[in-house]
Amino acid sequence: MTRVRIGALLTVSLCGAALAGQASAHHSIQAQFDINKHITVSGTVARVEFINPHSYLTVNVKDADGKVTRWAFEMAAAGQLRRAGLSRADRGGLKAGDEVTVIALAARDGSNSGLLQELKVADGREFKFTPDPNGN
Amino acid sequence: MRLTASSRIIAAAAALCLLSAAVLAQESSQPRRTTNAPPKPSGPTPRTADGRPDLTGVWNALGDNLNGIPNQIANNGLAIESDRSTRDLHSGRQVATFPRNTTRPQNNEQAERAAALLRRVGSNRPVYKPEYWEMVKNFDHNANEEDPSNNCMPAGIPRAGIPSYIGQMPTYLIFIYPGQGGLIATQTMYRMIPTDGRTHTPLQEIDGSYTGEAIGHWEGDTLVVDSWGFNSNTWFDQIGGYFHSENMHVIERFRREGNTLTWTATVHDPDVLLEPWTTTPRVALLNARPNALLPESLPCSERDLSHIVTKEHH
Repeated sequence: MTRVRIGALLTVSLCGAALAGQASAHHSIQAQFDINKHITVSGTVARVEFINPHSYLTVNVKDADGKVTRWAFEMAAAGQLRRAGLSRADRGGLKAGDEVTVIALAARDGSNSGLLQELKVADGREFKFTPDPNGN
Repeated sequence: MRLTASSRIIAAAAALCLLSAAVLAQESSQPRRTTNAPPKPSGPTPRTADGRPDLTGVWNALGDNLNGIPNQIANNGLAIESDRSTRDLHSGRQVATFPRNTTRPQNNEQAERAAALLRRVGSNRPVYKPEYWEMVKNFDHNANEEDPSNNCMPAGIPRAGIPSYIGQMPTYLIFIYPGQGGLIATQTMYRMIPTDGRTHTPLQEIDGSYTGEAIGHWEGDTLVVDSWGFNSNTWFDQIGGYFHSENMHVIERFRREGNTLTWTATVHDPDVLLEPWTTTPRVALLNARPNALLPESLPCSERDLSHIVTKEHH
């Protein structure tokens, strides 16, 4: 179990900007996520999973009262993640406990989940992703 | 059930985003393609010691993504030939395509809906018995819940299309279909297909399976794979809710010319179809790297469908 090392900040912001890039997946993006609503979630990495049909980043988020909730973020296709170096912690990827801020499209069902658009690591690294319909 | 292509305008709008999607898919390791038209063969056709065309190879050079899946987008029976035209490969009809806008990115909503509509323009559709028309329509409409191959289950035959790897031995072939995470979410499938002259087990004696009982033989330079003994848990085309019975009988034909492999599948299912249906030919391109290997496919763990809130789908 990953220990939560920081008090995490959870903010939700609305954003009307249109998204750039091509989007498709085994499911309709807009059937699951609000393409006009971005959320910003900060916490610590619980795990990164390279899986089909979508890889996932799980983040532990601590609220002001110290209660930890778990957020799940659908990520870009594995090829993009690999090219970004995210498949190995010792090659610039993530490891459990890393402090991160995620900017994501909000889940339309209100669950603690989203479609990851940007990833900011506490050490200053930033990643941006757009979905690819062919799994690249 | 024959579905009409209702809107050329929509198709044209859709084509431009599908084109950019197809191009994007090539970026990792392949030269940038400007169309998804079937490739023309080049180079010699290798032959085995017994004189047959040798189909052995990694056949993922069109999609060539890290999961090793042959190009899915070019396989919808529509060839986007330029920024301005798309051709229905079945009817030969040309569909006007809006000029591709490369200066202003489309947002997800536009791109996704346009691509989904374009996939539905293809004219090559199976013809169901009238009593099943409503069922097919409902499956398609509710595909988020109903699509049997979108929740890490096998795509089945012939929906899996062209295998990403073929190994040809003197008396059998091995086909490998890596799990897909693009337009559908499937688990990896493999088939061992004998070409030793054996005949099918009587249908009623076979336990239904996702890949059926497959037996291969050669008709000239064409490999014919004859399969039956399926379960009824798969659909047989990429979209449309095209279910089948466990009496489905599938005839696939593979023909290698140079560095291309052309595939068709004919679905015989008199329980539900009025007539046999044949896919529009698909063409895979050999991975040109002489040391090409099929990478491990990712495990499949589907976590999204329970969060879907609308009927929208591909």
